Amino acid sequence: MAQLDVNRIQKELVEIERDKNSGVSVTIIGGQLSRLTGTIKGPIGTPYEGGIFVVDITLTKSYPFEPPKMTFKTKVWHPNVSSANGAICLDILKDQWSPALTLKTALLSLQALLSTPEPDDPQDAVVAQQYLRNYQDYVTTARNWTNAFATGDRGLQEKVAKLVEMGIPAEAAQAALEKAGGDENAALEVLFSS
Amino acid sequence: MASESGATAVVLDPKSDMQSSVPKLGANSSLSEEGLELNDGTGEGEESVQPNVDQGVAVPAGPARPADDEILLQENSIKAEEAGKMEFIGDKEPLSALAAEYERGNEVFKAKIQKLGETYGSIRRTRGDGNCFFRGFMFAYLERLLHSQDKTELPRMRDRIERCKQELIAIGYTPFTFEDFLEIFMDQLESVLPEEGQPISLSELEVRCRDPNVSNWAVMFFRFVTSAEVQRRAEFFEPFILGLTNLDVKKFCQTSVEPMGEESDHVHITALTDALGIPVRIVYLDRSGGASDDALEINHHDFVPESAPESFKPDTSGLLTLLYRPGHYDILYSL
Repeated sequence: MAQLDVNRIQKELVEIERDKNSGVSVTIIGGQLSRLTGTIKGPIGTPYEGGIFVVDITLTKSYPFEPPKMTFKTKVWHPNVSSANGAICLDILKDQWSPALTLKTALLSLQALLSTPEPDDPQDAVVAQQYLRNYQDYVTTARNWTNAFATGDRGLQEKVAKLVEMGIPAEAAQAALEKAGGDENAALEVLFSS
Repeated sequence: MASESGATAVVLDPKSDMQSSVPKLGANSSLSEEGLELNDGTGEGEESVQPNVDQGVAVPAGPARPADDEILLQENSIKAEEAGKMEFIGDKEPLSALAAEYERGNEVFKAKIQKLGETYGSIRRTRGDGNCFFRGFMFAYLERLLHSQDKTELPRMRDRIERCKQELIAIGYTPFTFEDFLEIFMDQLESVLPEEGQPISLSELEVRCRDPNVSNWAVMFFRFVTSAEVQRRAEFFEPFILGLTNLDVKKFCQTSVEPMGEESDHVHITALTDALGIPVRIVYLDRSGGASDDALEINHHDFVPESAPESFKPDTSGLLTLLYRPGHYDILYSL
């Protein structure tokens, strides 16, 4: 197609909108259909449970013959996602992409990837090594990151409230939590060391 | 599989693909030694993996693996290079063009091409991008109809495609994911077999089949049809798929049928020809047999669905014929 396949993309958006129980959503950024934002619910029973993960989506003029470009905007601790920039290693976003797939199926595949990491084909070697050698540490870190980055304001506000209960002014609590990446204990250290 | 002719059926080896030049990232392909050492250092220390955005110290950047964008860019440049060399569908050339390729080559090939010349007069090459079977099949089919003007084919194919559509929906595909592809193919069919007015010219058909906005969409239509047929008759195809890969039927369709550029072997060909009711003869040009053998045979295999209309069957001039060389299909024309 010489131009963006607007017709196809709009049909996809309508379908995602209609199926609200799928656990994924897509919204348009600005007026252009080439830039979209997706969200994925962290799968239950994983360190990502309770998190809402935001995914940047870019579509080229060759979509659906070329895969959508997807990166995690929300920081994720996962063997197949770069902890630095959110780049994703998933076959269907590269050579295994098919025009038979859609934004919805791609996001559902990302959700499935959160449930079943593939440390043998990593995007982030550090996370992959931790996953393989210190699985419990991986779970702890992944959960901390989920709580810190993927729970939106809700998670943060709950933690601020806890610190306020301990007698810390709300503003200072929020600042400390942000500094500590959402980790309560680390935030306490920040507060008491300053 | 489909009924066999007297000739020996050759089992295609889908992995002997000389044309899949696009590099695939295997496991660990970007894990450098350095990266592994880095992990040894950080894996133990709990603090270093605690989230700490502001200071940025605890966000270790793994060794750089090429980003999706970079990989796609590379794939696209390879595709563009390939496109510069060869159209999706080439011009019709005399068989001597094929012989010229092997002038200094293998004696068996030379002898076989000579033998091939007793039956076939011309060849039309296709681009070796993993879609060559589908592109060759489509062009051969449409070109045949352009010549025969067999008006019974349009309603027959419409009926077939409607069944494929229902099948895809039954398997769980959302209609919008396949309808556009199907329409583009039907447009081409209606252009060569118009219900009123003149059919398009052969050169117009060539132009269309060289246009990615037609050819790629039609290829994808064939991939949907193939996938639906394999899944519909999963029990039948399963043993053949297990013989090729260790994938189950659904996974095979997702990884080896539906993505563009995945090559076709006898599973794909059987499924597509059965689903559409169009026979095809595959002629094999390989090293088997000796050059000096007087009785040098060129093997072929006929895929003949039971429901095929008479006009396309073997022993008629309507039989679609493709030449197979390991990893690639071109179109062959009888003398």
